[in-house]
Amino acid sequence: MTCEEFERVLPELEGGHSIEQEAHLKSCSACSDLVRDLNAISQQARHLQGSEEPSPWVWNSIEVSLRQEGLISQPQPERARTLAPLLGWKLRWMVPLAAAFLIVFGVLLHERGGVQRDLAKQTTPPAGVVTADLVTSQEDEQLLNTVAARTPSMRDAYEANLRSVNAYIRDAKQSADSNPNDEIAQQYLMNAYEQKAMVYEMALDRSLP
Amino acid sequence: MYRKQSFAILAAVMVLVLATFAAAETNRKEFHFKVGRRASISIINQYGPISVKPGPGKHVTVTATLYSDKVEIDQSKSGKRVSINSHLLEGADATTGRVDYEVLVPGDTNVTLRSTTGPLHVERLYGDVILEGNTALVDVRDVSSGHVRIKTLNGAITLTNVSDAHVEITSVGGDVALNAVNGSLVHVNSSSGKIHYDGDFGEAGDYSLTSHSGDIEAIAPSYASIDVVARSVQGKVENDFPLLPEHTSFVTRAGSAFAGTMGKAASSVKLLSFSGKIHLKKR
Repeated sequence: MTCEEFERVLPELEGGHSIEQEAHLKSCSACSDLVRDLNAISQQARHLQGSEEPSPWVWNSIEVSLRQEGLISQPQPERARTLAPLLGWKLRWMVPLAAAFLIVFGVLLHERGGVQRDLAKQTTPPAGVVTADLVTSQEDEQLLNTVAARTPSMRDAYEANLRSVNAYIRDAKQSADSNPNDEIAQQYLMNAYEQKAMVYEMALDRSLP
Repeated sequence: MYRKQSFAILAAVMVLVLATFAAAETNRKEFHFKVGRRASISIINQYGPISVKPGPGKHVTVTATLYSDKVEIDQSKSGKRVSINSHLLEGADATTGRVDYEVLVPGDTNVTLRSTTGPLHVERLYGDVILEGNTALVDVRDVSSGHVRIKTLNGAITLTNVSDAHVEITSVGGDVALNAVNGSLVHVNSSSGKIHYDGDFGEAGDYSLTSHSGDIEAIAPSYASIDVVARSVQGKVENDFPLLPEHTSFVTRAGSAFAGTMGKAASSVKLLSFSGKIHLKKR
């Protein structure tokens, strides 16, 4: 196996090498050094925090190096090119490093979003408290737009009614979820949905404004 | 001389009254329909009151008072079904589109009324009564033996002396008052409106008064025969009666839930609210 052949299969290796590849590593110091460097970088990348993401200077210098070597040029839309083949064997080690950075960054973003959701849950009022600003759904908004198109003066009244019944549904759902075997909790929920169905029915009834 | 002055004053008053009537620009129309037994009448009137009372014979008499020329009456009859619709013309609003209806029907007529502003009034009938209104006040009295179904968004609802009826009431924010109402089924579903019941719960009836945040007050005599459960998730629950305990899966909790029976437990009564107060009072 030559160095070129080894470099071609290098991105596909996942810690396991064939006998031929092992033999080449033992005989070629350049390729074995390369593999050792890549393994060290991927291990270190796991410990990198989001705050340690490389500065834009790093990415700029990489881009400059790539352009100097003639490995990248102006974008060519007629052919989709992947970055890895363009880099050449010397800079292919950047690919798993960049992937590790992206994964770490994505995880941090997801965790921050989860914290915001938890904060939102904590600020949700307890069951039984009617929230004046209870958000209406997309369907509710469409209904209100329909009412407004027909009778603009009725929009506010219907919106207030929808908020009231949505609060009813929310509290009834919480009760039913907490007590799935409670017949009365189920009745609350049915009553709440009956209210909402009535509001929709009256809003869409073309015989009345 | 004194007589001449009195006559002059009277004449002036008469002229003023006639002038007032002329200026009102109301237009009064009357329709008559001959119908058979168990006829149906449906009236859709966006703006204005509708009052339905029993009349003589097998005739439906509709008297409509129109407040402008921006509304016209569409009326039709197919067999035993009469349909009246206030047809709003371009530019009509709550004032110019107003029509006042006074309707006389046979006592067994099924009545359907729909109005935005109302009020709606039905009395002394024994057919089915279906009433719908956005903010319409609804008043039903002395009705028996039929289905009574009422829906409002915010209109207050009052039922008085309704017996042997199947009653279903749904209102988002309107207060509901039931006085001497009994029947095989009496269901009230309110979101934020208060529910007030004053009656004896009849015999063999299914009574359910439920609300989300509205208070519920039920006043009953000491001889009422009921199997009652009451629960408020967030609100306070009070009971003036000594109830006999019963074997039930319903969990009682002092101050927020109680259950038990009185008399022969002839009727089932459920008083349920999420955050409203509930009070079962002794009359």
